Amino acid sequence: MKKLAFTLCLMAAPLAAPLAAQDFSEGSEAKTWNLYAEQPARFDAKVVDILCELTGDCPENCGDGRRQLGLLRAADDALIFPNKNSQPVFSGAAEEMLPFCGKDVEVDGLMIEDPDVGAKNIYLLQKIRETGASEWTKANSWTKKWAAANPEAKGKGPWFRRDPRVKGHIERDGYFGLGLEVDQEYYEENF
Amino acid sequence: MKRLSILLAVMGAAASPTYAAEQGERIEIKGELIDTWCYFSGVMGGPDAVVGSAHHTCALWCSAGGIPVGLLGEDGKVYMVLKIDGDDTSASGDTLLSLASHQIEADGLYYERDGLNYIVVENVVSDNGITYRNHEDYGPVPGFALPEPKE
Repeated sequence: MKKLAFTLCLMAAPLAAPLAAQDFSEGSEAKTWNLYAEQPARFDAKVVDILCELTGDCPENCGDGRRQLGLLRAADDALIFPNKNSQPVFSGAAEEMLPFCGKDVEVDGLMIEDPDVGAKNIYLLQKIRETGASEWTKANSWTKKWAAANPEAKGKGPWFRRDPRVKGHIERDGYFGLGLEVDQEYYEENF
Repeated sequence: MKRLSILLAVMGAAASPTYAAEQGERIEIKGELIDTWCYFSGVMGGPDAVVGSAHHTCALWCSAGGIPVGLLGEDGKVYMVLKIDGDDTSASGDTLLSLASHQIEADGLYYERDGLNYIVVENVVSDNGITYRNHEDYGPVPGFALPEPKE
């Protein structure tokens, strides 16, 4: 009976002390963004459609690019939410992960954990590869995909100055979103 | 022995959790639709500066760029928006883009997973537009969001 109790204690220990405290920085080659709460993190995971994972609403191919995708970390089953790809141009990570929908992968990037703002398991994806593959895929393809989808917006300057939808909103509501007259007032007072 | 087997089976199941899809908890919440990356990462400054009218243009850029949109509730929590008014385009969707920086009242289903809050907004009860006029304090955030006037 003593042996049984000991065995049960050993089995219960991992339940009482979750794996959240694990250090996933080992082997990471992630480049710093000099963010307050960043930590390098390289880990194995499965690419999932987050809405499907939470609600059971599961279209083909993770929604074909419509939906936000997540990483179900192999070590502890935690759902990691990549918010950002590796390009410093206001671009997300879902497009970068879509080719890996439903697959087991290895990823490298920066984890953001800042309890002051509720940031938990937020991730900046820098590179990804299918489990067992030797070559990494850099998570920097968003602008090329945007250019292919918006040929009419070809021109000089970054994508976000040329995006037709963004331009439409700004032309209608101004840079502060409060109307063109508010922008004008700001210009007159500050320039 | 039979009792022990059952106990071990229960403990084994708990040790390797599987998260079956859940119903979600119905909630009504009022808050601002924000760009989560700037809010969580601090890349553009503190949380007060990366919301509202000051950050509106950046919120448009981030939403169009596929960065997740969150609903910053009056309770101070960020709810990651996975679907809104029947539109599941949570990555660069038109519905979320058109509501960037707006204060809304949302009726939906709430989920919590591994420290993050999620919401499926079934109904935008009210859209109050941009109510937080913090550009008067911060100017545009980032500063280059507002182009300098041409000479």
